[in-house]
Formats: sequence, structure tokens, C-alpha cells
Amino acid sequence: MADSIALAILWTLATYGAAGFCFALAFVFRGIHCIDPAAEHAGLSFRIILLPGAAALWPILLRRWILAGAKP
Amino acid sequence: MSTGYVAVQWSRHKRVYDASIAIGIALYLGAFVGVSKVLWQGAHGISDEVILIRALGSCAIVLLHVILCIGPLARLEPRFLPILYNRRHLGVITFLVALAHAMLAIGYYHGFGVLSPVRSLLTSNPNIDSFRAFPFELLGLGALAIMFLMAATSHDFWLRNLSASTWKRLHMLVYVAYGLLVGHVALGALQTDRGWIGPALMFVGLCTVSGLHIAAGLQEYRKDRGNPTTTPDAEEVTWVDVGAPNEIPIDRARTVCAPGGERIAVFSTGGTISAVTNICAHQGGPIGEGKVIDGCITCPWHGWQYRPQDGCSPPPFKEKIATYQVRIVSGRVQVSAKALPPGTPTTPVRIPGDMP
Ligand code: HEM
Ligand code: FES
Repeated sequence: MADSIALAILWTLATYGAAGFCFALAFVFRGIHCIDPAAEHAGLSFRIILLPGAAALWPILLRRWILAGAKP
Repeated sequence: MSTGYVAVQWSRHKRVYDASIAIGIALYLGAFVGVSKVLWQGAHGISDEVILIRALGSCAIVLLHVILCIGPLARLEPRFLPILYNRRHLGVITFLVALAHAMLAIGYYHGFGVLSPVRSLLTSNPNIDSFRAFPFELLGLGALAIMFLMAATSHDFWLRNLSASTWKRLHMLVYVAYGLLVGHVALGALQTDRGWIGPALMFVGLCTVSGLHIAAGLQEYRKDRGNPTTTPDAEEVTWVDVGAPNEIPIDRARTVCAPGGERIAVFSTGGTISAVTNICAHQGGPIGEGKVIDGCITCPWHGWQYRPQDGCSPPPFKEKIATYQVRIVSGRVQVSAKALPPGTPTTPVRIPGDMP
């Protein structure tokens, strides 16, 4: 693979992942309550366990959060 | 079941299970390193790092084979059910072992140059168009990415919030990951001097996995075809024959297939017979392969429970599954082919001659 392509891939992934991680932090402590009421009183370890998945799938969760926020 | 989430729903079974896996992994890695040290000495010596990379990689692939085999194995032979029940932990552990393998490999083979290790991984082998010299590590990377997604979304939260079908599709990618790993091992062997034992074992593994899947599928197919003796009655309800009452094992089920193709699990417990759908409300696990524990039908996959008489989870849980009417006609158990709405109470029929 050409180095320029490799760099482009790495930068894209790094940006996606960094954005995802910031989003995930906000999501597991706040947004999660909007999309799943069962998470209301969940403990810290549950929230931490969701971080990797939330950072990877953040566009889906962001969409759900916005939709849920629109019709409270 | 869902009254609010916890990180891991521990039970005694799961602790024993996880402890056994941890001990198994430690023994395997120890044995692998020990044997390699004895086998590759002197001029053939290989470094400790490479031995560890191989130990971890092969350990992950062995675990993956176990994961892929227990589904069909448990279907063919119920004694394997306890392994199935907690497959998720096995999946997460497998990912972690594979991750250790990959990080060590990247650090060792790509970590000492001027490029950052991952950049070097992507660029060091440009032979995408060649079979023999194909960058086999990229296949491993692809598989690792899939395994990460599966491990990261293994909590019930994801099942519920990604929708069951998306989640299921995501987790079916395990077969794609497996395919990539077959390539990773086979092509890797062509390019590193590892000998033929690894790829040969991988081939045996591939045959085992596909053989078991085919065998389980065939058995299911035969069961579905051989089964239904159906009798429509005056009200046009179709009744499916299940067999004599004593042919249903106590506290277990016999699964039959309705003409529409739905599977019905017919349980015998406490001298009565009742029927529920075979599909668990959790992840569609085969309820009919579970047993009755504490008066509740218990799904073999993750232990969700339902009362036989109404398909409801015992309080405080709120899950419900469909129930079916049962009757006994001239010594044969029959179940109505029509599903009742989830949670509908039915009257379990008492087995004649069986005192309460
Ligand atoms: C970024 C991801 C990965 C990289 C860079 C990578 C790298 C490597 C390398 C360099 C080898 C050859 C080691 C040697 O013999 O010198 C190897 C072998 C192997 N890898 Fe990976 N790998 C990755 C992912 C995976 C995953 C996800 C699995 C399995 C779940 C896996 C399973 C194996 C196996 C079974 C071998 C053969 C070991 C043997 O023959 O003893 N690898 N890998
Ligand atoms: S308990 Fe998970 S599928 Fe039934």
C-alpha cells in the first residue's frame, strides 16, 4: 500500500476514533438515558463497558440521541 | 433479564466458566512456549517474542474454533449446552487474546523502524496483487476489527438498542472473520518458516467447523420434515402431534415444528405439559433445548426464564414469549399450531395417571 494512502487511512481512523471517544464519554453519562430508560440507574462499570462500542458506533448513537431528544 | 443494566450478570456458573477458561489459556500458553523451546533449539532457535506471538495467535484461533463449534455441537448433543451458555464471555476473551497477539506482532515486526508501527504494517508489504506474497497480516487486521466490534457490542444494551436484526447481522460477521483468519494462517505459513503443522491443523479445524454446521443443519431439517402429523379440528385449529406424554423428558422439552415452520417447545414438568415458542425473547436462543429450573423454563443460552403456564418471566422481570394450547387425545400429546400472544396464560394439561 502506498504510504500516502496508509497515512490517509490512519488519519481518518484516528479522527473518527478521537471524535468517537469524546462522544462516547458524553453518551454513556447523558445521552444513554434518552435512548434507553433502563440505563437510568446503571452503575459506573456498566457505562465503562459500553465506551468502546459507543466510540466505534457513534454515528448511529448520535442519530438516535438527536431523534430521541427531538421528541422528549 | 431487564430490570436495569449491570456490567456483567455474574452467576456461579459464569465464574466457574471464566475461571476454567483463564486456567485453560494459561496452561495452553505455558505448554506452547515450553514445547517450542525444546523443539527449536540451537541453530533453529527462535526468539521468545516470536514464540509468544505464535502461542497467542494459535490460542486465539483455538478459542475461535470452540466458539464456532459449540453452537452446532450443543444442538447435536445436549451435554454440550453448559459451554454454550456463556459463549459471550468466551468471545470477549478470544478478542483479548487475539489483540495481545496482534499488538505483540506489530510491535515486534514493525516497531523498530522509523515509521510508526501501524503505518509500517499497512505499507511494508505492497504485494496485494500476489497470492504467495499477499500481506497476510492485513487479513489478521480485518479479522481483529470484526472481533473488536463483536466484543464491544456484546452487552445486552447493544442487542436492545441496535435492534436484534442489526445485532445478529453484526455477529454473523464472525464467519467473515473466520474466513480472513484461514487466509492469515495459510498465507502466513507460506511467508514465515513455521512449517506445515499450523496450516494443517487449521485445515482440520475448517473441516470440523463446516462438518458440524452441516450435520446440525441436516438434523434440524430432518426433524422438521419428519415431524408433523397434524389434525385440523372442527374449529380449523391445527393440532401437531408431539408423542406420548412420557416421551417428553421430565423438566425438559420436545421441540416440534408447526406447519408454518415455527418451532414449538413442549415442556413436561411437575406432571403437567405446556408449550411455548422455541424462540427466546432475548437473542432468539432455542428454548426447547433448555430445562426447567426452579419451576421456570430456562433458556440454554443466557439463562432467561419463563413460567411454563404463561410464558412470562418471573417478577421483577417483564419479558414474555408466546404460549400454545396443549391437549392430550387418546394418549397422545398435541399442541395447537396457533401461537397465542406473548404472555397469554394457558392451562397446562395434567398427564393422566400422574398424581400431583
Ligand atoms: C493486526 C492483526 C494481526 C497481525 C499484525 C498478525 C500478525 C501475525 C504474524 C506476523 C504472524 C506470524 C508469526 C510468525 O510465525 O513469525 C501471525 C501468525 C498467526 N496469527 Fe496473527 N496477526 C493478527 C491478527 C490475528 C488474529 C485476529 C488471529 C486469530 C484470532 C491471529 C491468529 C494467528 C495464528 C493462528 C497464527 C499462526 C501461529 C502459528 O502458526 O503458530 N492473528 N500473525
Ligand atoms: S437467554 Fe439469551 S437467548 Fe435466551
